[in-house]
This record gives sequence, structure tokens and C-alpha cells, in this order.
Amino acid sequence: MSLPILICDDSALARKQVKKSLPEGWDVEVTFAKHGLEAVEILRQQHVALLFLDLTMPELDGIGVLETIKNEKLEVFVIVISADIQPEMKKRVMDLGALDFIHKPVNRVKLTEILNKFGLL
Amino acid sequence: MSSQTITEDQRDCLQEVINVAMGQASDKLARFLETFVHLEVPNIELVSTKEVTDMLAVKYEQDAVSLVSQGFSGAEGLRGEALLIYSKINADEIADLLGYTEDEATHTEQLTDISSLLTTTFLEGLAEQLETALSYSAPRVMMLQEHGIAKMLEEKTFNWEYALKVNISYLVTDHSFNCDMLLLFPGTAVEVLKQVLDEILEDF
Amino acid sequence: MTEQLHGIILDQINAGVLVINSDMEIDYWNRFLQIHSGRGNDDVVGKSLFDVFPELPKPSLRRKLQGVFLLGTPTFSSWEQRHHLFEMPHSRPITTASQHMAQNCSFLPLKDEMGTVTQVCIIIEDATDVCFYQGELNTTMSKLEKSSRTDGLTQISNRRYWEERLSIEFSRVVRHGGHLSLIMFDLDKFKSINDVYGHQAGDHVLVETAKQLTDALRTTDLAGRYGGEEFGIVLPDTSLDQAMVVAERIRTRIADKEFTFEEQVLPVTISLGVTQFDLSQKNHEKMIAQADSALYKAKEGGRNRSVKFEVE
Repeated sequence: MSLPILICDDSALARKQVKKSLPEGWDVEVTFAKHGLEAVEILRQQHVALLFLDLTMPELDGIGVLETIKNEKLEVFVIVISADIQPEMKKRVMDLGALDFIHKPVNRVKLTEILNKFGLL
Repeated sequence: MSSQTITEDQRDCLQEVINVAMGQASDKLARFLETFVHLEVPNIELVSTKEVTDMLAVKYEQDAVSLVSQGFSGAEGLRGEALLIYSKINADEIADLLGYTEDEATHTEQLTDISSLLTTTFLEGLAEQLETALSYSAPRVMMLQEHGIAKMLEEKTFNWEYALKVNISYLVTDHSFNCDMLLLFPGTAVEVLKQVLDEILEDF
Repeated sequence: MTEQLHGIILDQINAGVLVINSDMEIDYWNRFLQIHSGRGNDDVVGKSLFDVFPELPKPSLRRKLQGVFLLGTPTFSSWEQRHHLFEMPHSRPITTASQHMAQNCSFLPLKDEMGTVTQVCIIIEDATDVCFYQGELNTTMSKLEKSSRTDGLTQISNRRYWEERLSIEFSRVVRHGGHLSLIMFDLDKFKSINDVYGHQAGDHVLVETAKQLTDALRTTDLAGRYGGEEFGIVLPDTSLDQAMVVAERIRTRIADKEFTFEEQVLPVTISLGVTQFDLSQKNHEKMIAQADSALYKAKEGGRNRSVKFEVE
């Protein structure tokens, strides 16, 4: 069975970049969300194994999504992919339960390394 | 003069590369200046000269501002000018921020130094993502605590019909310091930029 | 071959090229610098930048260089902000007043394959000519600016500049509130003075009046020659009553002063009209019209007097 993953970013380019950076031949089923609110709706309705999450977004930002996941005990692994790469932000995100934090721009090497680290491949 | 627009895809693409460049710049600056640097998410618009001056007239009508300009140019005619606008700045704050311990640099020198740092750090990140390299001219102080920025720009700028208005606010938390950055591109350079963006979009 | 060519170009180029490493030691310098700094090659390469050039502003320049190494971005120093960094004589020793070469310096990061900045290249351009001509230009511009706003005969502000200033003050009170008053005055029976004593006497009276006016006013007040024998005074932050005091002071000063021309005593008095800003005035021209109308009343009332504008 394919692994259900969700890519949440307000930028179409960024969503495509993440999708294109996924390891080749990885059996996944990709869903997209344009902002945090849309992501939360999807997470509530269907099972998602892994969420790639941007931080700075309209409607509901990445921090808001992480808080919702925590409060509603939604079962999903989260990898944050953000342009905001200052250490303070990384700490905040990790405290909210994210698996890891990737700096934009994302690429296949970086992403594969992290997925391997957590045995997701 | 053809009327210029950028498509939603191009705008989204530019917004994203600018966000990433800003993130990288704020991280680098924070480490160099040893303070937290916050860059607000910019709003990107392609606007006419008139709209830029009107906007500045409204925003800075009451204030004496300092204006620093720095030109940049890359391959294939990608070039433009970054304008940094400072209102209500405190000379001591900038010297302190830059780490100029002894009072040896004049106010205008500090202003060009901080401007150069903010501009080039950001543009280097942008250039890297656009897979180009930029050269820079030395920053020039165009106004020093003066009124009438809109009028000044109307009189002094004549080489661009359109500007890509990228308003970036730099906020430095430990210091009461912030400024706005405006990137201006002449019409021909906007065309080049659009091509570069299309190439990035095609890759994905 | 190319390396040899680069070497030749670097030694021929009319700019200084200096390369330093992250320990701030000089790795390379070109012939331009050898010639202009008057130092030998052995005293320079491998030595600390700040030891070789002790005139450099160490704390801020060190910090700037740190930025280039750490951020990988260039930085600059322009003669407009700092006349020069490296003390060197310039190539125009005869025609230029300054002793040292004015400089534009660029500090460019040199990166290895990994993108790490390993060296910084400093390019030093001679800007003495630019600096010299800019100085000349500034002097000329300020002379020109002064002459474009001065009345040739009386040496006080001319009408164009005076009215521009009035309009600026007018916009200021419209926006920020506060007081603004205006005095318009002219010389009584000036035509007769010209007719009886001659135009030279008339000119003398105009010049002397302007001089008296300048001496009598506060620094914030601005007097201008409005027309032939008519003058105006802009009084910022001044109420109508205060302006009337100023008007009377000028009137008595002129009346008491003995104007003489070729040993003849000239009968000189002035009549003044005074008004102040209020919200009913649409523009500064309206203020001038009101002061003029009060001035007309002063004439009608027998001259040599000040009259404030009143709405009829």
C-alpha cells in the first residue's frame, strides 16, 4: 500500500519542489494543501503518515498546524520545511513535536538523508 | 512601452525564492550582527514608477528619511537598484549594531555599510537560487534625514518604467532599528527576470 | 599563458589591487600600490595589513572585512564618506588642494570550490579627479543657488524665492497648526523721490531700506523684495498682535533713520499692511491679497502707519 503523505505550502513552486525532491521510486500517494487550515481539514478527515509543512502561510501558519496536531492528538509525523532558519524558530518547532527541520530550498539529497535517518524509506 | 504583467505562477515563484533568500539573509545577518533579525514576508507587485512614488509619498509624508541606493547587475541584462529607506534612525544604534566600537566612522559611512550588508546578503541568496551571480556598485547616500522622498525619486530616476516592488522590512529585535527595502528593475530587466522564473518553473 | 597575461594586466592597471587572507595578512599587491605607497615588496607580502598600513581605521575596517569573510558579500568604501583609506600621494599634485589620493575601495570575497571565502581582494581606485571636480561643482552650485534666490539690487530674497518660502510656511500651518503672519509694505511717495532726486537716489533708498529691514528682523523672519518698491516679510510662529509690534518697530526705525543721498536728506517713510493665517484662506496668495488691502488702508489713512487686516 502506498504511503499517504501531505505537502503543505502556500507556494505552488514550493509544493512542486518538495514533490520533485522525494526519493525516486518511493511508493507514496501525495496530497497538497495550500495553507494550514486546509492541511488541518485533510488531517482530520483522512489518514496521513507524513506531513511536509511550511511555516509562513496565510490562514493558519505552520506553528498553528503543529499546535492543532498536538492538541487534537492527530497521528502524523511532521517534517518542517522553512525559509525561516534562525535557531530560535527551529527550537520552537522541535518543541511542538516536529521530527526535523529542513532549510529551504529543499533538494533530494537533503530530503533522502532525513527520511533515511528516521527509517521512513 | 508595452504594458507588463507577471503571471500568477511567476509571482508565486518569485515570492518563494525571495522568501528563501530572506530566510538565508536573516540567518547570516543574525550571526554576524549577533542579534535576532526578523524579515517580514514581502508583498510582491509589479508597479509603475508613478505608483511607487505615490506609495512613498503617502508612507513617508511626515518623516525625514535617509535613502541609500545600491545597483546590482547579473548576466543577460538582469539588473536593478535596491533602495533602502530609513526613517527615524539613531546613529549610535547603527554603530552599535555594526560593532564599530570606537567612534571613528561617520554617520553616512555607517549608513552605507549597514545598507550594503542588508542588500548584498539578501541579493546573494536570491542570485544563488536564480542560478546567476551578481556584481554590485558601491552604495550611495541619496538623502540624509530629508523630506520629500517621492519628489526626489521622481526627479532622479528615469531609467525604469516599471518596478518590482518588494517591500522588505528588516526588524532587529535588540535594537530599535528597521528599514524598508525596495527593488527596482527597469522594464528590460523585468523581462529577463520573467524568463529566469519561467526556467525555474519548467524545472518543476 | 593566461596567468602570465593576468600578471601583466594587474601590473599595468591604473588601480591598486591587494589580496589578504583570513588572518588579515597580505598575500598579493600589484605594482600600482608598490609605486604609490613607496614601500618595498619585502616589507609587505606576508605581513599584517594593519602593520603595513597603520593609517587604516582598524576597528571598523576589521569588522567590515570580517563581514566579507563570513557573509561572502562585497563591501565598499567611497571617497564621499571617507576621503581615503590608504594614505598615498595622488597623481595631480599641482592642481589639487588635498594632499592624499581620494579613493573608492571595493572589498570582494574570493571563494574556493566549496564556496568558503578564503581571501578578500581589495581594489583601490584613484578618485582624486572626481573628488576635485565635485568640490568645484558644489562651490559653484551653492553660489548659483544663492544668486538665484537673491534680488540683485537689495541683496535680500527675490520675489520668486520669497513667495516659495511663504507657500511652504503656509502649507506647514495648514498641516500642523500654529501661527503665521505676513507684513507687506511699500515706500511712501517713492515716485516723487525718483522724480525729484533721481533714480540713483531711489535705488539708494531701496538698498538702505532692505539693510534696515535685515537688521531689524529675527533670524526666523524672511524679508523679500516683492516688486518695485514693495517688500514682504514672512513671520513664522507669530500672532497678529506680535506681527503688529514688529511692523511698528520697522516703521519707526525707517522713519527715524536719516536717509541721505549726495548730501541731501530724503523724506523716507513706509506704510504697512499686516495679516495672519486663518483657515478661511485657501492659499498663500490670499494672505498677500489681505496684507495688500490693509496696506492700501494705511496709505488712505495718511501713510507712515501700520494697519492690520480686518474682514469687512
